[in-house]
Amino acid sequence: MLYRQAGIRHRRYAAERQLWPLTFDRVLVGGVVLFLLAAPFTLDRLYLGSYLLPWLLWSSAALGLNLLMGGAGQIHLGYGAVMAIGAYTSVHLVRSGIPFELALVLAGMTSAALGIVFGAAALRVKGLYLAMSTLAMQYIIDFTISHVPGISGGTQASLQVPRVTLLGMPVTGEVTPYYVALGLCAVITLFMLNVGRTSFGRALAAIREKDYAAEIIGVGTFKYKLLAFWVSSFIGGVVGAVLAVCYLRIVTPDQFHLDLSIQLVAMVIVGGLGSVLGSFFGAALILFAPIFFNNAIGTLATQFGLGISTDLRSHIPLMLYGALIILFLLVEPLGLAKIYDNVRKYFLVWPFRHVRK
Amino acid sequence: MSLPIRHLRKASKWPCFEDGQPSTLMAALARNAVQSGRRVAVRERDFGIWPEFTWQRFYEDVLAAAAALEQLGLLPGQAMTVIGDNRYRLYVASVAATALRAFPAPVFPDVPPEELAHYTKYGTPTVAVAEDQEQVDKLLELRERLGRPQRIVYDDPRGLAAYKVEGLISFDTLLADGRKRLIAEPQLAGDLVQRSGPGDIAVLLHSSGTTGAPKGVPLTHENVLQGVRNAAEAGYFEPHENCYAYLPMAWVGDFIFTLTGALALRFIINIPERQETVLHDLREVTPTMYLAAPRAWDNMLTRVQVAIADSTPLKRRLFNYFMPRAIEIERRRIAGEPARAGDRLLRLVGEIAVFGPLKDYLGLSRAARAYTGGEAIGEDTFLFFRALGVNLRQFYGQTETSALTAAQLGDDVRLHTVGKPLPNVEVRIDDSGEILVRSRSVIKGYYNDPEASRKALADGWLHTGDAGYLEPDGHLVVLGRVSEVVRTEAGERYIPNYIENRLKFSPYVRNVAILGAGRETLAAIVCIDYEAVGHWAEAHGISYTSYAELSQRREVYDLVAGVLRHVNGFLQPPLRVRRFVNLHKDFDPDDGEITRTRKIRRNVVEERYAALIEALYGGSSSVDFEATITYESGQTGRIRRTLSLQDVD
Repeated sequence: MLYRQAGIRHRRYAAERQLWPLTFDRVLVGGVVLFLLAAPFTLDRLYLGSYLLPWLLWSSAALGLNLLMGGAGQIHLGYGAVMAIGAYTSVHLVRSGIPFELALVLAGMTSAALGIVFGAAALRVKGLYLAMSTLAMQYIIDFTISHVPGISGGTQASLQVPRVTLLGMPVTGEVTPYYVALGLCAVITLFMLNVGRTSFGRALAAIREKDYAAEIIGVGTFKYKLLAFWVSSFIGGVVGAVLAVCYLRIVTPDQFHLDLSIQLVAMVIVGGLGSVLGSFFGAALILFAPIFFNNAIGTLATQFGLGISTDLRSHIPLMLYGALIILFLLVEPLGLAKIYDNVRKYFLVWPFRHVRK
Repeated sequence: MSLPIRHLRKASKWPCFEDGQPSTLMAALARNAVQSGRRVAVRERDFGIWPEFTWQRFYEDVLAAAAALEQLGLLPGQAMTVIGDNRYRLYVASVAATALRAFPAPVFPDVPPEELAHYTKYGTPTVAVAEDQEQVDKLLELRERLGRPQRIVYDDPRGLAAYKVEGLISFDTLLADGRKRLIAEPQLAGDLVQRSGPGDIAVLLHSSGTTGAPKGVPLTHENVLQGVRNAAEAGYFEPHENCYAYLPMAWVGDFIFTLTGALALRFIINIPERQETVLHDLREVTPTMYLAAPRAWDNMLTRVQVAIADSTPLKRRLFNYFMPRAIEIERRRIAGEPARAGDRLLRLVGEIAVFGPLKDYLGLSRAARAYTGGEAIGEDTFLFFRALGVNLRQFYGQTETSALTAAQLGDDVRLHTVGKPLPNVEVRIDDSGEILVRSRSVIKGYYNDPEASRKALADGWLHTGDAGYLEPDGHLVVLGRVSEVVRTEAGERYIPNYIENRLKFSPYVRNVAILGAGRETLAAIVCIDYEAVGHWAEAHGISYTSYAELSQRREVYDLVAGVLRHVNGFLQPPLRVRRFVNLHKDFDPDDGEITRTRKIRRNVVEERYAALIEALYGGSSSVDFEATITYESGQTGRIRRTLSLQDVD
């Protein structure tokens, strides 16, 4: 009903491979981009700083992890640690007077370099064992950061992020950090949208499906598994750096603990493995569902005078949140992106049926 | 290959009619190259994408092909066989032949080798242009028997590399040779544009052949260009249409609606990848003008109905809510009734919910002009597409009249007429009820057949062989072939076939025989459609065990009477069907009542059912009828049946 497909023809094959051949999709994407660009001027600062900004950052991180999990099929339970490396590297570099632009790249490089070391485990182990090795990475990095005073500044210390400028603009207040995060998110999104159409993306897909089969058809698993960890960790490092500068402002070791890693894995799985759109959906659900339920229960309790004990008031949202994730995965195991895809296809073939179940 | 010819000057003058319009196909092409050289002329789907050819490119390719074809020995006045599905290069070759004052003689691509001799007998074609290996093989076989065509030019080289046969040339080579010659002889291009005149033959087609062997129909440049101009004057064609070239090139419809229309009015010709992908490619083309045979529209409707039956409940309900109501609105509109309140709202909401997406699915969302012709279109199909918002209209014409004689113009659409004669076309009905046509778009005579020409074109009017009449407001009604006309006792002319076809548009009627030759009134023997009526009976709680029992149910009689009453509404009062019987069995080729192609054999029906026919014209309300039936084993048996007879008002 909403989509129009007639009259779409191409003169060249390159044109045929465009991302959004359908007008309606283009309008939708354009609308979202416009909304995000205009948000600082139209939206309340509170929403900008505490909803949109974290959503963009967590989505970016989920995208980076999705390249590894959805793209190459390698699980990673230590992505929070990867981000921590990026965050601490950039903060220390900036503190020592290195420009933020350079610090960003170096943060990515450091994360990538360390990430690839632990990723090397993936050359020998798979599945649960890889999960264990990456989990080990999380703990080792956590331990190192908090116990080396040169990095964390001491066990109980927190690091203040100095004022930085990006391309001459001071990254302060609410608006500039938001645009920095938006820009980073846009770059990563574009990269992720296009990576599947490159030989690199196809090699990752081959490894995801079966690594020794990929080897047989000439895709070097050694090279591409390491590359996957490298690229994914690089993204994680850069996002960690921007997260520290634009959102956290003060860096402490406990911000990058296992909680964050699990949160990101949840975003990727709930959103949809390998789906760009899914990363955004997943981040939104995992970030905002608890807040939403909290508020809803709070409102119920106060407005309607329901006698809910404080204990229960803090537990019900968590229960609902867990139930919601289970529900979504029961309805569509392939994630929120697949639910969106089903809805889209329902309208795409209107007034006919898409597939007969 | 596709590099422009550097020395090729643009044509500065070309043959024109008195009013300055180009008077030959080549002249029109030269004009387009000069005035719209960079506009797209042709899109041809090739492995999923649509390479485009501009008018300048088209012009250069035609000149090159013409220059090379002349070297191959194509002489003025000679035919050039063109065989294959629609291809850009076959169109190029066709125009190139006319530039040399020769003419293309397109042949249907599915003609078997044995019949090819017949379709290539006129104009001694020594050069043939073929689409692919399949057609080349046929032509080589023909050459073995007849010694011609000496030269065969092929478009698609696939499978032909190993052919070591004399006189086989690829189109690539042809164009390359032509380009060399054009560069060597700078005057040639201008000369080629000037050579042909409006009186030269532009194409040699074949008459439909429903009446005896097909005759050669030579359409001149003047004929075809005038035909297109008549249509354009009536608003039937607009300049710069996006048209879809998928109909056989040997059919006059393609030559006029696609090639001539494109040259004269600068259409964009869109050519599908293959015949098998026509429906799919249609969606990518989304033409603004779309011509299809009634059967193709029927198929499209069936496709939609099947897919809807399989759709989700909500979507199906929406379709079933909006579609019948829109059809009803359209039916009322055509009948001339005023629009009711709410009609526009229903159409608007329906457009969003159902019609728009459906048109998008079919690729008809931009088809401002959709046409059908060749035979009568079923009322349901016609109304369905009109209700959908596709401005489907009928036209009437023959090969001899450049396809266009009369057409439904604007919104002036009726169910039973084919519209009014086009501007500059005179239509007259002679005393025998035959439709006569006179226009500049009508041929001067058949090819090499003075006998047939004299018969068909006596006194300057073309005798179409079709029977029909003009309604008081000028709308033409075509009934059928003159040879099928029958008279009642009172001398009223009618064509049983015409009434039978209208009845068969109803899903409940599978076969029917209209009686009445030499009788006072008309009567019908109706064979119900077992499946459709069976469904209807189930839906209405009517029990039955067999065709014979179902056909004799009172309710079924009423159902069929309703169909007859509806069709009677279109017929003049003396020619209404007054009485009918539901036969206890369907007409069957094994019993000889119909042919294998499902055409009725009137003499057999009249002989077999003589007793029944007598009863129909008698007064009784039922008849005991004894029939001979033939089993599939070949044995015969006799069966006794009591059949009811019913009057229709």
